[in-house]
Amino acid sequence: MKLEQIRDILEAEIHVEPENPNFDILNGCGSDLMSDVLSLVKPNTILLTGLATPQVIYTAEMASIQVICFVRGKHPTQRMIDMARERGIILLSTNLFLFDSCGKLYSAGLGQPTRLISAL
Amino acid sequence: MIMKSIVSSLNLTLYTQNLSLDRSIKGCYSGDLLSDVLARACIGCLWITIQMHPNIIPVAVMKEFPGILIVNGRIPEPEVISKAENERVVLLGTPLSAYEISGRLWELGFQP
Amino acid sequence: MNPREEVATRVQELAYELHVAQAMTRNVLTIHPRTQISTVSQILRKRRISGLPVIDKGKLCGLISIEDVIKCLVNNELNRRVSSLMTRSVVTVYSDEPVVKAIQIFERFGYGRLPVLDRNDHSVVGILTKGDIIRALLKKMDVDYREEEILRYRASHIFNDVTADEVHLIFEFSVRGGNFDRAGEASSQLRTNLLRLGIHPEIVRRIAISTYEAEMNLVIYTHGGRIVADLQKDLIQIRVLDQGPGIPDIEKAMEAGYSTAPDWVRELGFGAGMGLPNIRKHSDWMQLTSEMGRYTHLEFEVKVP
Repeated sequence: MKLEQIRDILEAEIHVEPENPNFDILNGCGSDLMSDVLSLVKPNTILLTGLATPQVIYTAEMASIQVICFVRGKHPTQRMIDMARERGIILLSTNLFLFDSCGKLYSAGLGQPTRLISAL
Repeated sequence: MIMKSIVSSLNLTLYTQNLSLDRSIKGCYSGDLLSDVLARACIGCLWITIQMHPNIIPVAVMKEFPGILIVNGRIPEPEVISKAENERVVLLGTPLSAYEISGRLWELGFQP
Repeated sequence: MNPREEVATRVQELAYELHVAQAMTRNVLTIHPRTQISTVSQILRKRRISGLPVIDKGKLCGLISIEDVIKCLVNNELNRRVSSLMTRSVVTVYSDEPVVKAIQIFERFGYGRLPVLDRNDHSVVGILTKGDIIRALLKKMDVDYREEEILRYRASHIFNDVTADEVHLIFEFSVRGGNFDRAGEASSQLRTNLLRLGIHPEIVRRIAISTYEAEMNLVIYTHGGRIVADLQKDLIQIRVLDQGPGIPDIEKAMEAGYSTAPDWVRELGFGAGMGLPNIRKHSDWMQLTSEMGRYTHLEFEVKVP
């Protein structure tokens, strides 16, 4: 799924833009706890989280996660935006709750290996 | 939706014993930060979380959650299970991630 | 990501990076609208090209292709003029646009070639075909591949060119206890250093995750400590050392889900009891020793093949 499509589904605001918007996101992870995220292996994943602290950016860096979307109306601080930009991590935020965000993306096909995901 | 039908449609593991599953689920809340759960979750929700420590039970009681669904196949300690049984909070489990189980619940019909 | 997915992603990235000017053929042959098709046919055959832009008074007015020529051949009308056959509404691209724009046009319209215009004076500066795009992408990827090979070579030779019985490159970081503000910084710096040295990204990932979990433990449970990264020829050893308070039950501490973290730590996204199990999962060897009131020493290793 392309970033643009995710942004539309989540009605999200983009805080850090990608240099190249044409990559594919293949999976989703919804968690507020970072150790959970660190043991995640799947590449090309979007992290959906209600935790808005610098550790989320560090966690994404260590786990090679390229996209983070903050849920429940949480916003990144300027420091977090700068950190993310330095590391090439894309930041979004949405007012939707975590359950709805995961639900909408999942039913649109993200992370469902048997469903066709648009334009790979 | 009734908890019983969710448990069977999604093949959930039941950790607590002797608690009725004929309870209605008004909605779902996913999250692991207790402060957010207390501040934002609706009353009567099914709580989807990876948290397993004893504090989740008093939170569930306060928010009148009929049940807590623990994801990633994690198994709660016996101490937590008996606390849940005492407070009449159903403890459920799934090997799926929070993302996946939220997706399936969404497709079952939990859309606002 | 498997190698095929990596290539596909890189190709997509390049389609945005490369400009039409880098892929197009210059020195474009053009033709006047009053030329006869028979002449066009000779030119196309001799030059082995598939189409020509039609220029009148310095401006693009149409496109004549090999398909048009074949049509004439079939109807035996080789003395027709280009102007009567050419496609007049021509889709074009500017030389400074990314190649992906041309790809989208090719996909949408099914054309074989696009004239390339200069954005300022709209003169024809080149022709772009699908073949040109593929050639340019492959060439760029070959360049990238070579550059990466050079980088790897340079890094691996740090250890191969220097002669000694043992080689150690040591990074040391100090971590303050209780300081959540900077928690993660040491691991982030270590990760950057390892990538700069050309260590394989997958190895770096495992080390970064393990070191980060260890760093968070230092911040959450101790008054502070040191992280020492010891790079050797075929091994990276990380030692995490503090001076207390110590771990009362190491076996329990290694259990997934077991945590002694205070509540405020959970509100910051940690304390789920997955730290030590995560380190064990991502490293090739691990050892944890502790004495109450005195110290905790964590050591783990990742082999570098």
